[in-house]
Amino acid sequence: MKKWSELKDSSFFDASARERAVGLVDKGTFTEFLHPLDRYCSPHLVVLGQAVEFDDGMVCGVGLLGRHPAFIISMEGRFIGGAIGEVNGAKMVGAIRLALTAAKEIKAKYPGEYEAKRPLVVISFETGGVRLHESNAGLLAHAEVMDAFQDCRHIVPVVSVVGSKVGCFGGMGFVAAAADVIVMNEQGRIGLTGPEVIEQEMGKEEFDASNKALVYRTTGAKHKYIIQDCNYLVEDTIGDFHKVLGEIAGKSMEEIEKMRRIGSIDLVREQQELVKLVGDMQPKDSMDVWKHFGNENPAALPELSTAEFLKTVKRRARS
Amino acid sequence: MEFKGITREWDTLKKDTKARVGAASAYTKNGKIVDAENTVALLETVIKPFDKVNIEGNNQKQADFLAKCLCEVDVKKIHDLHMVQSVLTLPEHLDVFEKGIAKKLDMSFSGPQAGRIAEFLKEGKLELGAIHTYLELYGRYFVDLTPRVALIVATMADAAGNLFTGFSTEDTPAIVEATKFRQGIVIAQVNEIVEKLPRVDIPGDWVDFVVQSPKPFYIEPLFTRDPALITDAQVLKGMMAIKGIYAEYGIKRLNHGIGFDTAAIELLLPTYGEQLGLKGKICTNFILNPHPSLIPAIECGWVESVHCFGGELGMENYVAARSDIFFVGPDGSMRSNRAFSQTGGHYAVDMFIGGTLQIDPYGNSSTATANRVAGFGGAPNMGCDPKGRRHSTEAWLKCGAEYSKAPELWGTVHRGKRLVVQIAETFREKLAPGFVEELDAFALAKNAKLPIEPVMIYGDDLTHVITEDGIAYLHKCENMEERTAAIRGIAGFTEVGLKADPKTTAKLKERGVIRTTDDLGIDITKATRSMLAAKNVHDLVVWSKGLYNPPARFRNW
Repeated sequence: MKKWSELKDSSFFDASARERAVGLVDKGTFTEFLHPLDRYCSPHLVVLGQAVEFDDGMVCGVGLLGRHPAFIISMEGRFIGGAIGEVNGAKMVGAIRLALTAAKEIKAKYPGEYEAKRPLVVISFETGGVRLHESNAGLLAHAEVMDAFQDCRHIVPVVSVVGSKVGCFGGMGFVAAAADVIVMNEQGRIGLTGPEVIEQEMGKEEFDASNKALVYRTTGAKHKYIIQDCNYLVEDTIGDFHKVLGEIAGKSMEEIEKMRRIGSIDLVREQQELVKLVGDMQPKDSMDVWKHFGNENPAALPELSTAEFLKTVKRRARS
Repeated sequence: MEFKGITREWDTLKKDTKARVGAASAYTKNGKIVDAENTVALLETVIKPFDKVNIEGNNQKQADFLAKCLCEVDVKKIHDLHMVQSVLTLPEHLDVFEKGIAKKLDMSFSGPQAGRIAEFLKEGKLELGAIHTYLELYGRYFVDLTPRVALIVATMADAAGNLFTGFSTEDTPAIVEATKFRQGIVIAQVNEIVEKLPRVDIPGDWVDFVVQSPKPFYIEPLFTRDPALITDAQVLKGMMAIKGIYAEYGIKRLNHGIGFDTAAIELLLPTYGEQLGLKGKICTNFILNPHPSLIPAIECGWVESVHCFGGELGMENYVAARSDIFFVGPDGSMRSNRAFSQTGGHYAVDMFIGGTLQIDPYGNSSTATANRVAGFGGAPNMGCDPKGRRHSTEAWLKCGAEYSKAPELWGTVHRGKRLVVQIAETFREKLAPGFVEELDAFALAKNAKLPIEPVMIYGDDLTHVITEDGIAYLHKCENMEERTAAIRGIAGFTEVGLKADPKTTAKLKERGVIRTTDDLGIDITKATRSMLAAKNVHDLVVWSKGLYNPPARFRNW
């Protein structure tokens, strides 16, 4: 595996789950929970005659972002598409609960310094959702994660990081959207039903999954950034993600709360406005929406580099 | 001795053609133009049962409208056709057999229709003449497989029937020349009929009928490989190839097969190749389709020339703007030509390198699988040692000098040898082994009742095999026993590799018949995707200064 100093300039998109976990926190601070040597693997896959991985495709651990303990959950898309089963789901939930325990203990021990030492949860999503081989356990894991998110509200920020090959789809698309903050690179994609499944169920006229440009401008980070489903769009290096996570770790809980998309009656109203807008304008393509929000030449936006895009893009105004 | 001349008519073909074309005059307007809705009737008039018919089916562009119309003809009028065509890709290419319109087939490559050909052979719906290489089939167009009627495809036509084939010329000139000069009938489908063509690729008097198709012809971007899908293992093998073969022999003139392994090599030239100081010393002249993955090497000044078999969707503007490198017409757009490119690939390159699916212990390699009759297109012509070659180059001479069988077979004459290199992964996706004791080609020959096993590259032509375990320099082997041992020595944990004798492998390493990354001085920790000059399709667009315009399916942004 690459050294931390090499990871800094490496592509986030190409990085393995472990490389991301190590590189997202400060140099030399990462400690992994349930390391592969502990061999916590799926009991269900063995029964089905499938290969297992000793970390069940999920790297969890803790490191530092400045003085903030960062609880990292990182999914490995190269193992069954990063799908969530019983063991990796439990690892995910366990890591979030551990962050809450840490918050409580830090508050008790350093009452004056809580803001400066407040922990956060960072989840690097690379998944299509439930692992079909262990579907019920996988669904339960999703529910438990959502539950744990609620416990974290106003206490510990939860940050979704999306920018790996598989993207973030299925039930985990909901989970990522339920976090406080979403950070993406240009390659990042979030959605519920995957493009291939939409095409299969609704036909090629509805959604042509082989048209990658269409897929990206519907589920990709630039679109999410314009409609405010993504808070930070960064360059594709692990170092850039690390830097922005450091900034987020230092924000007050009030500022964090403002970045959310759901979770209050006002936010529900804001979402309903969006639904109404879509109903009124009947967009044929995400570019229609971009134009509506003030982008004169929407077709040019996908071609821009991240830096150029950030300079010129017009986003939906938040109420 | 008394000579007996015969008495016969000497222009029956010409008269027959005249009669057929004359009978179709009801469907033409302004000379050669036929409306799309009259196409089926036209075909029923000019084609006769048992004719040899070519539907232009290329690797890339397809005469799809004419193929569809041929499927709609009345089988009572037209049946038992003998199809002679290089590529079968469209379902219609096989539907004509299903319907009884055609009976016999001579072809080169069948891609997506390979499964159906095998099925039809079994059911007796199709009679297979032979599976050829491209050059072999073009050769037979001029010997004993001359089409009576050719259904071809071009981009534009004018009222006189002159054709502009443009960027993707591919097979068209070879088919038309064979057909027309043996008094045959040529029907062209075009995307549009214009007043004046950008340039004339096929003269109008070689063309009998022109149909404007309702939709532009189908073309497949077959040669675009997304750099985002290249694996670390492919990067490693690419580095091994560059250091252990390209640099070792000074390979300047070459062909790259299709696939991710060679795409990796193309993307390693500006990085790893540059580090090794190889610019100008290797990879200067290519016989190659316009691979987008070659853009960074071209932009860094590695490449002097590229001649193309066909075009590649999205590369039109880039190629046009690099006319020092590509073969560009006076109108400013490229002309490809598969026949000439294959000739270059057969005679004028020093190395062929490509991926394969299976290699046996004798070095035979094949992409054939048990239930698909696919053929190999041009690979066997490039992946062989051409016995008709009489010019020498440094790389060719060096490989010849190393050839262990030279004294036995060549005597004292100085000769060279083409490098034929196969890149294989010991296990591919889904744990499919790259090395097998018996090629699937044997099962296919049995299933489809073929007289010979479809082997892509014969073992005796193969000079080098690269796997993640090492490079085997097979031409240095003294005999079949040693050749087999060298292949086993780099075949990893496959059934072939497990039979390797460690002592023999060690001996072969000592003699330099097998070389590992250590022997080559390659640091495997450096063999990661970060070595690639472009990591995704968008990077290629940036490298091309915006000239490369990838099809939507590759626009991952």
